[in-house]
Amino acid sequence: MVPLSWYLILAAALFSIGLFGVLSRRNAVAILLGIELMLNAVNINLAAFWRYGNVLHMAGQVFAIIVFAVAAAEVAVGLALVISVYRKRNTVIADDIDLMKW
Amino acid sequence: MTTETLIWLIPLPPVLAFFLIVLFTNKNKALSHTLAVGAAFLSWLGSMIVFVRALGVEHLGEHPFESSLNWLPTGDTWFRIGVLVDPLSAAVLFFVAWTVLMIFIYSVGYHNYGQPEGDQDVKGLPPRGAIVNAHGHKHAVPSVEPMYSRFFAFIGLFAFGMYVLVLSDNLLTLFVGWEIMGLCSYLLIGFWYAKKSARDAAVKAFMTTRVGDVFMLLGIAWLYSYTGTLNFREIFQPELLERMGNAMAFPELAMRWPALFPFISSFSIAGAIALLLFVGTVGKSAQFPLHVWLPDAMEGPTPVSAMIHAATMVSAGVYAVVRMFPLLEADVTGTSMAVVAFIGAFTAIFAATIAVAQNDIKRVLAYSTISQLGFMIAALGIGAYVAAVFHLITHAFFKALLFLGSGSVIHGMEHGVLHTGNHHVDAQDMFNMGGLRRKMPITFWTFLIGGFALSGFPLITAGFWSKDEILAEAFGHGHWWVFITLAVAAFLTAFYTMRQITLTFLGEPRTKEAEHAQETPWTMTVPLVILAFFAVAYGWIGVPTGFPVLGGLLPNWLHEFVGGTLAEHPEALAFNWIPLGTSLFVALGGLYFGWLTYRNVNSPAEDRLQIPLLKNKYYFDEIYDRLFVKPAYWFAETFVYKWMDQGLIDSILHLFGPLTDKIGSFIRKYIDLLILNDAGDGSYKATWWFGRNLRGVQTGRIQQYLMFALAIFMLVGAALYFYFRYFRLVA
Amino acid sequence: MNFIDTHLLSLTLFLPSIAAIFMLLLPNGNDKLTRWFAFGVSLIPFLLSLVMWSRFDPGQPGFQFEESYVWYEAIGSSLHLGVDGLSLTMVLLTTLLTPLAILASFSITDRVKPYMMLFLLLETGMLGVFMALDLLIFFVFWEVGLVPMYFLINQWGSANRNYASLKFLIYTMGGSLGLLLAIQMLGVLFGTYDLLTLYQRWNSLVPGSLLLGLPVQTVKTIAFWAFAIAFTIKVPVWPFHTWLPDAHTEAPTAGSMILAGVLLKLGAYGFLRLILPLYPFEARVFAGALALLATAAIVFGAFGAYAQTDFKRLVAYSSVNHMGFVVLGIAAAGLAAGTADANIALNGAILQMFNHGLSAAGMFFLVGVIYERTHTRNLNEFGGLFPLVPVYGGILIFTSMASLGLPGLNGFISEFLVVRGAFPILTVYTAISMLGLLFTGAYILKGITKVLHGPLNEHWAHGEHKLTEISTREILVMAPLMALILWNGIWPAWILNVINKAVVMLF
Repeated sequence: MVPLSWYLILAAALFSIGLFGVLSRRNAVAILLGIELMLNAVNINLAAFWRYGNVLHMAGQVFAIIVFAVAAAEVAVGLALVISVYRKRNTVIADDIDLMKW
Repeated sequence: MTTETLIWLIPLPPVLAFFLIVLFTNKNKALSHTLAVGAAFLSWLGSMIVFVRALGVEHLGEHPFESSLNWLPTGDTWFRIGVLVDPLSAAVLFFVAWTVLMIFIYSVGYHNYGQPEGDQDVKGLPPRGAIVNAHGHKHAVPSVEPMYSRFFAFIGLFAFGMYVLVLSDNLLTLFVGWEIMGLCSYLLIGFWYAKKSARDAAVKAFMTTRVGDVFMLLGIAWLYSYTGTLNFREIFQPELLERMGNAMAFPELAMRWPALFPFISSFSIAGAIALLLFVGTVGKSAQFPLHVWLPDAMEGPTPVSAMIHAATMVSAGVYAVVRMFPLLEADVTGTSMAVVAFIGAFTAIFAATIAVAQNDIKRVLAYSTISQLGFMIAALGIGAYVAAVFHLITHAFFKALLFLGSGSVIHGMEHGVLHTGNHHVDAQDMFNMGGLRRKMPITFWTFLIGGFALSGFPLITAGFWSKDEILAEAFGHGHWWVFITLAVAAFLTAFYTMRQITLTFLGEPRTKEAEHAQETPWTMTVPLVILAFFAVAYGWIGVPTGFPVLGGLLPNWLHEFVGGTLAEHPEALAFNWIPLGTSLFVALGGLYFGWLTYRNVNSPAEDRLQIPLLKNKYYFDEIYDRLFVKPAYWFAETFVYKWMDQGLIDSILHLFGPLTDKIGSFIRKYIDLLILNDAGDGSYKATWWFGRNLRGVQTGRIQQYLMFALAIFMLVGAALYFYFRYFRLVA
Repeated sequence: MNFIDTHLLSLTLFLPSIAAIFMLLLPNGNDKLTRWFAFGVSLIPFLLSLVMWSRFDPGQPGFQFEESYVWYEAIGSSLHLGVDGLSLTMVLLTTLLTPLAILASFSITDRVKPYMMLFLLLETGMLGVFMALDLLIFFVFWEVGLVPMYFLINQWGSANRNYASLKFLIYTMGGSLGLLLAIQMLGVLFGTYDLLTLYQRWNSLVPGSLLLGLPVQTVKTIAFWAFAIAFTIKVPVWPFHTWLPDAHTEAPTAGSMILAGVLLKLGAYGFLRLILPLYPFEARVFAGALALLATAAIVFGAFGAYAQTDFKRLVAYSSVNHMGFVVLGIAAAGLAAGTADANIALNGAILQMFNHGLSAAGMFFLVGVIYERTHTRNLNEFGGLFPLVPVYGGILIFTSMASLGLPGLNGFISEFLVVRGAFPILTVYTAISMLGLLFTGAYILKGITKVLHGPLNEHWAHGEHKLTEISTREILVMAPLMALILWNGIWPAWILNVINKAVVMLF
């Protein structure tokens, strides 16, 4: 088999790209995409550790599935929020949504 | 009843009269004077009975009537007070009772009882006469005294004080009577209190005698603490007297100032105490230098003057010294007696010189009293016990007579003043009188007898016998200076007395008022006559046994009787012609020259003796005012009150208030406000500042928040990693 | 009956306060009821003290009618009451003067109820001091007496009352600070405040041993000064006397009567009850200084009185003068405790306390009588009032003569005894105090002359200012005082015997 570290490096890279996206994209939807990336990177991590650890222990797989569900729910809610904000403020640029500023 | 009980009761009627008059019968004149005169009569009666019984006792000096009881508890013992009638007090009681009664009766007439009330009369001022309609036209008559009852109340209290003094067996109750008389003299001299001169005179009298009283009190305290008693008979035990007479009074002082040793050591305890007590007499009997109150005391009504200055108060002063004579005598150094003799003799001549320049009929008598008291004091100073007592008694009679007589004269003159209506004429000025012998015969003859007695007219007057005895004692015991001084004083006495009689009664009336003078009612003249009798007769009980011709005829009863008071009966003096001759010479000479000089003098301008120095009493009043009175005011008002109390003490106190204020403000400003308050304020400010400055973090931009979260997460992770790696040693 | 018999002291002590509180229930506005109720109630302690007087056995040493109640057990303080000859005399004085003062206050019309309540509370305070045999109780009642007096002066006084009342309160309280601290120290050291116990234990301390880390002598000296300062301010001893003229002058008439009549005696009583028995050694050491101050009080008090133009202030200074004699007697006793001379001096001092209470109360009342009619106290504005008010004049002369020390009246006996007793012990001071005696005459005569004698000041003779004679009620206030003044002057043995036995047994 391929060494575990390749999967971890892949997941880290994906996570970093996702993080970078979250931190630097202007568009709110793009931020959500970045979050999706980060979540998927976590999934890869989880699956890798499951496969290369105790195969019999279901916890890894279960955890990954939970992450899927959460990601999906979170995207749904997130997009709903973005659409709501767009309807009010006519913009999706994260930086312009700063009413909570001091 | 027993004599002792009677003696206790003698002082009571006058004081009861006082209370009854003050509380109840004030408005009723008749009732008031009845109470007063009745009380005086009862006391007189009691006194006479006691006196007669005293005469019957053999050696009364050794077995006097005495009775005492416990009065003040003092630790484990009691201080006792009581009454004592020994020969001295019996003799004094006699004249006190008579003179007091005479004065009481006289006062009824003096205050014009029975006369109408004056329309202008005001309480507090002498009565000014009333207008009546008689015989068809308006007529001014003397009016009754508005404060009539008050007068009798006060003289009642006065009599009480004197009786207490005479009858007491100890110094304390003597002092009680003494002070009560002082109070009454204040009240009576200031009787007409609306007159400023009367008020001032009253205060002056009280304060001057109080100076003496204060020293006397010290003497009493000293005597009491040394001997443990104030009872006369207990003090005069020979061993005690000898001890006191020999012990030095101020041993520590004498040691401390060796330069003054001879002077300080010349005072034995007995002598020092006697001198302190004597100062009381100097005040009360108006001796130099405390004589200034007596002439001013003439402001009081004349019976008061008679009472105070003849019969009772000043005599009380001499009585006190006579009483304490054994103490004076016990002094081995004789310093105290010398002091007493000096003051007496000096006063005698001093006052006599002033008397010759006085124009007011009462003032002459006032200075005369001072002078005669000087005679008595001088007599005591040279040890002439019986002579002093003799002169005390005769003086009381003839001086009272003279004062009451002068009152009668003044009354007669006031009659004339009312008649003419000219109220500016001074009814007491002798130069306004003259020729009154025809208008007021009874007054004239009795006054003449009194005046002659005062001058010492030979043989028939009592004054001769008593004064002669003093001069004889002075001469016989070798006290030359005293003898000469007293002789000169006696000459002056006769001189001014004759001056007074000449100006008042002889010659022709000098004013219209004198022309219209009238004799006074019986209530005033009868006492004069009775007193005149005593002024003559009393002398005959003291004729010295050595006297030519008369010597053996009448026993010297007084010498026997009064001499028995002392532990050692004084010797009778051998007869000597020189003092008798001197006495005759000064008396007759003085009288003659007085008459000669003044029979043609009609006004003060013609009187060559009106020297300002004499007229103004050697300016003693002014000296005392500058020396004592004004400084006292200043000390009280300025020093004590303004400077000390308000200035010094209160200023210190007032420092506390502002000081506390300052401390309080300081604490408030620097601790309360600055530290506590500002600290509280500071904490909120700091918080606010932090918040204000930190809020910049809240940009509202999500990516920024995420960035921060990431950064902090990494920091915390690193910290935890390192913590667990290096500190917790988890592999 | 038995309850009354066994509780004489506490009844006398607390009845006034209970009555004062009861007065809250009385209807407002009915001044007559309030006054008569207060007067009636104040007579009850007087009657009780008469009962006590008749049952008192002068020959028995120690305290009689003792009562002791638990109060503050944790620190050893109980409500311990008892009287002996000395305190019974003072109790009698207090219970006699309070009804008279209340009777004198009948002319107050402004807020009568609080006034009467304060008076009754004041009576409790004063009585408590005299009856207390427990140091803490002594102090409590000492301070209790101050507060009603402050209010009486402050609310019902004359023009300068704020200053005067504050001065009185702060000054006296300031003096008592040391007293409190010293009392606390005694209580802590011995675990009890009971006076009888303390007498023995305090005096049986071995000199040279340590107490609180300091030598016993030092502690005793400090405690002595703490006690002494409080009492010297209260008496008042010169130079701590300046509160007295202000307080007396500005207080209402009855307030002055009680202030001069009783409150001053609290200080002297403190000397006799506390200082002389507890600190005999220190007292002897400092008696000379005390005598000097007493003489200063006598002399300067007399001069100060003579300087006054305000009648009431003159009488106030006369109080300084008379209390000086009391302190002189006490100083003499301190110097030569146990001797016959000291005995006589103390007799005189205690009798002077009683006598001065009578005459000072009388004088202040008489000043009040004339003040109520003329609304001025300035001597120069009176003049020749004798014909207008002869009865008042006679009473004034009588009381003034008592104040002056005229033999035959009470003042002379006590002053003579003090002079006699102090003379062999403190000769020079006694001699100097004679100067004060001389000027006593001066200021008394000044008062009488300016008020009564003199040319009639027409202002008071006619019209709306016309003076009315002294009224029956006012005569009734003066009558018992005058009777006692005369009786004490003629036959003082009734009270002097009690005092004498007490003094012999105590000192």
